[in-house]
Amino acid sequence: MIGRILTLGGHDFSSRPPDRAVCELMLRLASEHAGDRPRICIVPTASGDTSEQIARFYASFGERACEPSDLSLFRLGRRPMALRDHLLAQDLIYVGGGSMVNLLAVWEAHELGAILSLAWRQGIVLAGQSAGAMCWFEAGITKSSGKPAAEAGLGLLSGSLCVHYNNDPERRAAYLDAVADGMPDGYGLDDYAGLLWEGPGPPTAVTARRGARAYRVISSATGVAESPLPARFLPAPAPAALREDIAEFRRITSMRKRAGWLG
Amino acid sequence: MPRQIVAFGGGGFSMESGNPLLDDYVLGLCSSERPRVCFLPSASGDADHYVVRFYRAFPAERCEPSHVSLFRREQGPEDLRAHLLSQDLIYVGGGSVVSLLGVWRAHGIDAILREAWEEGVVLCGLSAGSLCWFADAVSGFHGTPRAVEGLGLLPFSNCVHYEPGAERGHAYRRLLREGLRPGYAAEDGAALHFVGEELSRVVASRPAARGYRLDAGGDKVTETRLATTYLGAG
Repeated sequence: MIGRILTLGGHDFSSRPPDRAVCELMLRLASEHAGDRPRICIVPTASGDTSEQIARFYASFGERACEPSDLSLFRLGRRPMALRDHLLAQDLIYVGGGSMVNLLAVWEAHELGAILSLAWRQGIVLAGQSAGAMCWFEAGITKSSGKPAAEAGLGLLSGSLCVHYNNDPERRAAYLDAVADGMPDGYGLDDYAGLLWEGPGPPTAVTARRGARAYRVISSATGVAESPLPARFLPAPAPAALREDIAEFRRITSMRKRAGWLG
Repeated sequence: MPRQIVAFGGGGFSMESGNPLLDDYVLGLCSSERPRVCFLPSASGDADHYVVRFYRAFPAERCEPSHVSLFRREQGPEDLRAHLLSQDLIYVGGGSVVSLLGVWRAHGIDAILREAWEEGVVLCGLSAGSLCWFADAVSGFHGTPRAVEGLGLLPFSNCVHYEPGAERGHAYRRLLREGLRPGYAAEDGAALHFVGEELSRVVASRPAARGYRLDAGGDKVTETRLATTYLGAG
């Protein structure tokens, strides 16, 4: 059974409600694969494995009921990892945003595309935003070289995707031109809108912010049409409850402090 | 202009804080009084702190520094080829040689660097930024040392951070016995200076650092310690 794929037009790892809603959905998808302590791994390649992206991911998932990890291809020198073993042991693999061109080039150099495709065929959930969403499609519109340009993805999902649809008019215009010129039909995703792919059929559109939309983009003899898709609203959960072991650690630390025993 | 590559085993501002001997040496190879120096930090994923350290080591008083970040193309020069070909020195940082080569190919940097070399731009770097110039790179970055195909400007194998008796040395010897082409190794602090495809000299920022030539004949690997010039006083 192939895994589900969650593709997002754009989001952040912050404590704001729409960001919490996105993380909650990922946690639910991971839990449905694994049970109560899912493994969630970020692959931050598209950013060049920036500390910032990695830290924000851990800040969001670190205190939730899951085992977060990161696979940083630029940092293997300090921390060697068995790429295949690590990825195939995950319940959800999340790909961060950045340069789609660099993402795919570095993956190719490390033969990661084949591992991710295997993970998907084994039922592991794949997710990502921006470059990390477009990479699963046949094609996307990247600004990796400055100006928006078409770029081929891994092709696990058929069709094309354009991200940041609402706040990047230059990218959207380039996408509409590309689809008119023969890029496969596909989807436009605003920031905080997403598509959940659960099988061979069409995806379910989801949105974590009122007004954020997903569009079907189809080329025909009369031009390229964009139609908004009905989307399921993702409510934001209450701020993350502390993980029990962390809460326990903090209780013990404060008891020690009160006792004047700081060792 | 001769084609020149200076391949550090390890050293320069990335590894030898307070010891500028190797960086001074490569700057000295530039004919211009205020050389144009471009840093390529691709092997690190264009880490911000690394770019900052480059600008500290190569301040505007000494040269005309710039860098190209392939993860943030929107901020850098639009015409990469024109920018790189106009340099006196291209300095490649350390990190993952596999990722470095992948990103370079995606942006056509591999072809531009060959052109720059042929036009006399001095190429240098350490670690991944040293391995990349050779046909075969012995990289230990991803765990067990293995051979990775480099740009092939220099038709040799290369091993950086070399220590004759240590794991990487053994791995290099094993790869040579298995048919890897002969080549060169450099310890941290030593740099191999090639003019054209010939090794011209070995220089060092530390008195004891050395370069080596490694050849294989059948099952036997011979390691020759190369005469090395210490760049410091005395």
